[in-house]
Amino acid sequence: MNSSSKAFSKAVLYAVLAVASAVFLAPILIVVINSFKGKLYISDEPFSLPDGETFAGLENYTSGIEKTEFISAFGWSLFITVFSVLAIVIFTSMTAWYIVRVKNFFTKALYFIFIFSMIVPFQMVMFTMTKTAAELSLDTPWGIILIYLGFGAGLAVFMFCGFLKSVPLEIEEAAMIDGCNPLQTFFMVVFPILRPTAITVAILNAMWIWNDYLLPYLLIGSEYKTIPIAVQYLRGGYGSVDMGALMAMLVLSIVPIIIFYLFCQKYIIKGIVAGAVKG
Amino acid sequence: MASISLKNIFKIFEDGTTAVNDFSLEIEDKEFIILVGPSGCGKSTTLRMIAGLESISKGELMIGDRVVNNVAPKDRDIAMVFQSYALYPHMSVYKNMAFGLELRKLPKAEIDARVREAARILDIEHLLKRKPRALSGGQRQRVALGRAMVRSPAVFLLDEPLSNLDAKLRTTMRTEIKKLHKRLGTTFIYVTHDQTEAMTMADRIVVMKDGVIQQVDTPQRLYDKPFNMFVAGFIGSPQMNFLDALVSVRNSQIYLVLSQNEINVTGVFGLDERLLSYADKYVKVGIRPEDITNDEDFVKKNADKLITAKVEVNEMMGSETYLYLDYAGEKITARVQNARAETDLSVLAVKTDKIHLFDPNTTINIFI
Repeated sequence: MNSSSKAFSKAVLYAVLAVASAVFLAPILIVVINSFKGKLYISDEPFSLPDGETFAGLENYTSGIEKTEFISAFGWSLFITVFSVLAIVIFTSMTAWYIVRVKNFFTKALYFIFIFSMIVPFQMVMFTMTKTAAELSLDTPWGIILIYLGFGAGLAVFMFCGFLKSVPLEIEEAAMIDGCNPLQTFFMVVFPILRPTAITVAILNAMWIWNDYLLPYLLIGSEYKTIPIAVQYLRGGYGSVDMGALMAMLVLSIVPIIIFYLFCQKYIIKGIVAGAVKG
Repeated sequence: MASISLKNIFKIFEDGTTAVNDFSLEIEDKEFIILVGPSGCGKSTTLRMIAGLESISKGELMIGDRVVNNVAPKDRDIAMVFQSYALYPHMSVYKNMAFGLELRKLPKAEIDARVREAARILDIEHLLKRKPRALSGGQRQRVALGRAMVRSPAVFLLDEPLSNLDAKLRTTMRTEIKKLHKRLGTTFIYVTHDQTEAMTMADRIVVMKDGVIQQVDTPQRLYDKPFNMFVAGFIGSPQMNFLDALVSVRNSQIYLVLSQNEINVTGVFGLDERLLSYADKYVKVGIRPEDITNDEDFVKKNADKLITAKVEVNEMMGSETYLYLDYAGEKITARVQNARAETDLSVLAVKTDKIHLFDPNTTINIFI
């Protein structure tokens, strides 16, 4: 009786999880399927698999790449994402190290400012911020990296601080006695210990920056198009949308971030747990 | 040449607390010095000041013949073993040991030779490729020692290095560290709160309390001639018993009048002036547990040195027995060789030649 009811509840659980994962995976699957269909068939039969008549081969991909100047957009997205993430990981981990190790009023205040920055929604500051950024000539792919650093810093500093509190100070003192200067201590001893958290911070920020539409649109959209902006240009006038090319470009834009995620996903859990439990 | 000289060292923290108060000590080359005291007595702070991890508020610290107050830790020619071992978790054992040498840009071959030599001495050669997390506590301890050894420092600093080990391993490592000291011929400064470690390993012990040195001496002399009641109580296990006694002089005999008995101490101290000055005054009598005996012969022969106490607990240790006694409301401990079960009221004799007398106000040994 007991074991059969256990088996039953297990079966229910599996069923619920199966439905949930189907719900989450369906949109990606639909995009992939439709990217191989002729654009006229996509609206008609969005859920059917491509057959002899509807299959369009790689046509959507080639036309999409051509129309959106995808190669250049991919390049800008990659450039902005990689350097923003690098800047966030390196600078915020150093900042967090300073905040955790140097305890005074200034660092305490700094910490709370970082925490506070997390709760300010982007939409609240976007117009004033983009205007100011433009006046400071930050409306370039290089300038936007600085702005991403600012927006990403709150959560990243919070996560690094949580983890650093669990790192014994004695390890750094041992490094000092061994002959490290502060920079060597950071890069040769502290940063490698922070690796799980650094990877988590990198993944979270890479996903957000890669997919971000609003900030690049407002700041650099007219000159330098990132993938989300470029894809948007497939919407023609009067509501006409080249659905085939749109689907194909969506596939191309999500593939890199999924690959990145798959490589690093085991560290996400590790990093979040390490910060949360010992913080 | 690695003598160390601490002259009137103070450590005053920003909030005004004085952690180390006027600490002066000359440590000879190759000496094994142990700083001992209860937690918060300033022993670790003193060690950290010698290491350069803590600034010196006042005073002068010399290693060899140079003042190092403002010298960075890495340039003081010291190595430190931490309580938590502080191994670099992301590096292999080999890399942990080689790290300091690599930073000093030593030739690869020499680094390799030094690391392997240290690993051989500490018997950790088979662990060189492992990460610290794959090691047991004792093995980590050895790696931490190895990391200090490879540097061939002038001074070894050890901050409670054995306190994270289990009792059996602690005893083994105690001997190992002592052997290592002999082998390396380096100055060792060791911090512990465990008086057994201090007694078994040190050439000289520094007993500290509230940031102040209480006494500096060899283990035996600390035990035999404690300077004050704190040292007397801290050194020795079980702890020394303290009883109030009135000094009474009658017919050229000096008696210590305890709450229930009188003990004649004329034979031991004679008519010592220092003791006579306490005539009709109270002193604190310090009696070590092993100096209270139930040996029948001794009790019979020393009728004027007896105390009668109620046995509360009788703890058999195998080779000896601890008697926890109630002596007119005061709790005292006796460590007797005779394993016969003492029950209820017991008559015991005090070995008066081993007792210590302290001034009840200053707590200082009246014979020092």
